[in-house]
Amino acid sequence: MIHWKESSYKQLLREGSNKIKVPFIAFLLALVCGAVTIIISGYSPVEAYRAIIVGSLTTTRGFVLSLAQATPIMFTGLAFGIAYRVRLINLGSEGQLYIGAMVSALIGAHVSFLPGFSHVLVAMIAGAVAGGLVGLLISWLKIAFGAHEVITSLMLNELIILFTSYLSIGPAKAENSPISQTDMILDSARLVKMVPRSQLTVALLVVIAIAVILQLLLSKTALGYEMKAVGNNLLAAKVGGIHVKKVYHFTFFVSGAMAGLAGSSFVLGVFGRFIDHFSNGIGFAGISVAALAGYSPVGVLFSAFVIGILKAGALTLQRTTPVPIEFVSVVQAFIVVFVAAPKMVNSIISSPRELGKIIKRKVVSRG
Amino acid sequence: MNIIEMKGISKKFGNTVALDNVDFSLREKEILSLMGENGAGKTTMMNILYGLYKADTGDIYYKGKPTRIHRPIDAIDLRICMVHQHFMLVPALTITENVISGAEPKRGRVFIDYKSARQRVSEIIASLDSNLNPDAKVSTLSVAAQQQVEIIKALYRQVDVLILDEPTAVLTPTEVMGLFKVLRALRDKGMSIVIITHKLKETLSIADRITVLRDGHIIDDAVDPKGTTIHELSQMMVGRQIRIGERRPTGISGSKSFEVINLNVVEHGITKVDHVNFSIMNGEILGIAGIEGNGQTEILEAITGLNTSSSVKLKLNGEELDCETSTLLRAGIGHIPEDRLAMGVLLDQSVKNNLILGYHRERSICRNGFFRQKALEAFATRGVEKYGIKTAGIDQPIKHLSGGNQQKVVVARNFSQNLEVLIAAHPTRGVDVGAIEFIHKQILDFRDQGKAVLLVSADLDEVRALSDRILILYEGSIVHECRPEEITAIQMGLMMTGMSPSDVLSHKVGKN
Amino acid sequence: MDDFNRIIFIMSSTIRMSVPLILVTLSATLQVRSGIMDLGCEGMMIAGAVFGVLGSYLSGSAWVGVLFAVVFGALFSLVHVFLHVTYKVNPTISGMSVNLLASAIAPLLVMLVWGRQTLSDKVPAFNKIDIAAVEKIPMIGKILNEQTIFFYLSLILAFLMWLVLFRTTIGLRLRMVGENPKAANTIGINVVKYKYIGTLLGGALAGLGGAALSIGQLDMFIEGMTAGRGYIAIVINAFGRFHPLGAVVGSLFFGFFDSLQMVFQGVLIPSQILMMMPYFFTLLVVSFGLSRSSSPAGLSKHHDM
Repeated sequence: MIHWKESSYKQLLREGSNKIKVPFIAFLLALVCGAVTIIISGYSPVEAYRAIIVGSLTTTRGFVLSLAQATPIMFTGLAFGIAYRVRLINLGSEGQLYIGAMVSALIGAHVSFLPGFSHVLVAMIAGAVAGGLVGLLISWLKIAFGAHEVITSLMLNELIILFTSYLSIGPAKAENSPISQTDMILDSARLVKMVPRSQLTVALLVVIAIAVILQLLLSKTALGYEMKAVGNNLLAAKVGGIHVKKVYHFTFFVSGAMAGLAGSSFVLGVFGRFIDHFSNGIGFAGISVAALAGYSPVGVLFSAFVIGILKAGALTLQRTTPVPIEFVSVVQAFIVVFVAAPKMVNSIISSPRELGKIIKRKVVSRG
Repeated sequence: MNIIEMKGISKKFGNTVALDNVDFSLREKEILSLMGENGAGKTTMMNILYGLYKADTGDIYYKGKPTRIHRPIDAIDLRICMVHQHFMLVPALTITENVISGAEPKRGRVFIDYKSARQRVSEIIASLDSNLNPDAKVSTLSVAAQQQVEIIKALYRQVDVLILDEPTAVLTPTEVMGLFKVLRALRDKGMSIVIITHKLKETLSIADRITVLRDGHIIDDAVDPKGTTIHELSQMMVGRQIRIGERRPTGISGSKSFEVINLNVVEHGITKVDHVNFSIMNGEILGIAGIEGNGQTEILEAITGLNTSSSVKLKLNGEELDCETSTLLRAGIGHIPEDRLAMGVLLDQSVKNNLILGYHRERSICRNGFFRQKALEAFATRGVEKYGIKTAGIDQPIKHLSGGNQQKVVVARNFSQNLEVLIAAHPTRGVDVGAIEFIHKQILDFRDQGKAVLLVSADLDEVRALSDRILILYEGSIVHECRPEEITAIQMGLMMTGMSPSDVLSHKVGKN
Repeated sequence: MDDFNRIIFIMSSTIRMSVPLILVTLSATLQVRSGIMDLGCEGMMIAGAVFGVLGSYLSGSAWVGVLFAVVFGALFSLVHVFLHVTYKVNPTISGMSVNLLASAIAPLLVMLVWGRQTLSDKVPAFNKIDIAAVEKIPMIGKILNEQTIFFYLSLILAFLMWLVLFRTTIGLRLRMVGENPKAANTIGINVVKYKYIGTLLGGALAGLGGAALSIGQLDMFIEGMTAGRGYIAIVINAFGRFHPLGAVVGSLFFGFFDSLQMVFQGVLIPSQILMMMPYFFTLLVVSFGLSRSSSPAGLSKHHDM
């Protein structure tokens, strides 16, 4: 009896530290891969990373820029993460953030009877709801027709991006504007900047609050219990009387709403209008952010900040060095690869002898 | 001469010792029965011989020479073939394709010679006195026919040693006799056969020699079936006498508790359950016996609200119930699902969280949607103590518990609530003997309090031992109803394969 | 353009536009048949497209470009199968990571080599093949002579896939691995080997499809040129019952819509709306037209779990 008690405690400890150890090491490995791309572009990775860290953590400007870059991917990280906890894959963040952005832009520009604070609030909520409705469409198609949410969300991405593009070029285009964008929003719809002349707005406070709420939801409520149960074992959840459809709908709505808010925060805080194709992968970056955070809502805040540091640093670097900004998306992609396979990470960091054994075993099994 | 010898075999899975320094031998031209309870190590032993597992220590000898068997292909090269308990067939492919896969006759270097393949398969089918069609898709075959295909698969390759893992688990007594006839013929032609089983009566009728395993140790490797009895064998297997057939007095009160009215399930145009009606009295255990695949799963799904394409009326104490899972749970109808891992436990969650599944919104532990942490922990701690669940703590992930303890969590989850009816599906499947006795006692105690139990089980002994009344299920219909003392196991088996009850009872077929 | 010529134009451009889709759908077919979920096709295609252009640029020969495309398509698919089969990662994640990797590396590569983010230089590419013999045949002649070598390659590969899958030992074992890996393992088939073969060859096919785009239809790489074809292939594959013939027919169907869009471009309907058609159609198909019940029973299953 004592024998298994001891080992069970050991197992518990190992699992707990795995949750932090694996993402951390995965991140380091991804940075190594990023270093390779920096080397190929003809620069020193040590110099580059040093510049990034120094810039982002010692200067106010760098710190603020990092937070500002982090805010939208906090939203999309929450979007992917909350869905993933229920074993749903929401790849539709790109489309959802575009629709949220467009709706917020239109309300921001054309609704003139609302005073300051409520105008922003309405515009943001509308953006969230728009994204949430798209999420709801995905879960409805899944439940009613068994349509795989991966395909439907990706198709909806393309559809929404094309449609909003059409709107910004045609019907909703700003007058006398040479490029595809909508009208500038009214001042009453603007998100207050936290730091003047920066991109950092109160959207940061909004996303922090939402992350905390979602974390509490998952750990302390019956609904959160049901969501986790559905994510762990769908059949057992049904046996336990859990209404899976409601859980799916709720989760996808929240997930889509988060992505929609990401778009709203851009329009209402940074650009002041909807600009065609303004997002360069904010939606998919959410996958890396969520993975790095172990899919925990509060963890997303931290992992997004880390990636925000990278992005801010890369922006600065690309002005003064040959390092292309694309190296951040390479790091992000590798984060997903390494976080996905904890055992692989464990074996990579073990002694090289272990790695040799693994390669040899693979070769033998392929024989 | 021993065709196979295994010496000093040990195998651990994590912290569980499956085999502890075990020796095993198999002679030429013999049928050996490898016996033991669930978890004794018999399947593990043969999986090692077949190359699916690797032993931690020990050696294998083939015809006296030491050999290394690392993968199934090594065993196959030594003319050792294994037929597994769960069939390894592809329903979408034909019998021929299933049989030849991996050892295909070729035309040229890459193309399959289907013509000679069909011919060879037909020859083997004929030699077994069977009338299977080599081009039939496996999905169209009955369970017994599928097992024949597995044997054909083995015979298609040159076989000196044939291992069968629980071959009779899904067969009726008559089909078992047919299988044994085939096995004896194969043995007489020179084959060595190992039958892994825990069925006592069958062992005595087929085996030339019996080897008994218990908890990873050999108890006796050369038992003579003619010189032993069922009781002696069961004593060797579990270390003490199993109380077979011991039943307790019932207290049926006479009022209807749970009624299932006009249950019909049609899937893809096939009627899976046909006009099933039954009711359970208060203070009664009603058992449903049938071969797996005759509608039990569909019935269970329908009456627990898991199948929305079924039509049924449910009544509890005379009042009609909405056939929806959460409603049924709240009304006091508990459910021990038939597949613990697939439907019963949340593997990644703690013991505590598993103890409340289905009842997680009860007011005692949850108010306004928020959990009351202290009440929840107290509830879980009480449950672990009362049901003897071996765990390091209520927060331990349930995946670290043994199968028996996981099932105890499922049982505790149910009995911790105020139940009126318990639906228990295969409640002791894959559970060790100590836990089996415990779970049976819980079910009987529940009945003695005047509650109703529906027991669905593929284990005929369990059904006969626990039930006050038995329904026999065949192809989605109830074909017979009786009390356990009014029918023998063989008669039950015959009805379970479709023989009409009047024929079975009037011809006195299979009376002991 | 008179009506008759318009019809010919539609038919020939249908075929021309379908070719990359046929190749990437064949990739999906092979992967699913070996039990691997085909989610990484888009990334493999992107890899083939960009590395095909790179190979052509470096060597001056489009054939070397094809070689690069095939090799790198397979290399990227290695990530998917390595993570999923050897490390038991959820295939959606491992597939998407291929897509993320390729989407990140492609613009990086273009930036490093040509200094621009979205467009490469023009490179040596494949031209239409003029077969003098068929020129005189009324309709078919005109249609065939608009096609590049990739058209003929796609048909040959479709036929080869059918032959191998259903008539050879390798094909039977591969299908068995896809249907029931546990069973395949117990009769001595090396499940891991066949899953790797299915995925790597699939990656090569998807890479070839990418090359058909970048050095077949065009002569350069443009960011986003695959336009989700890898995902559409997943749907066509399921719709075509995971059979090479279904892949060809289904792709032609989608190619038809693509070519309609070109004919009517901007005339009556804004081009963005027209470009939405294939995605909209895919959405409809995956929602209302599909039942995944015909997929191989062992999809995403491992031999030891």
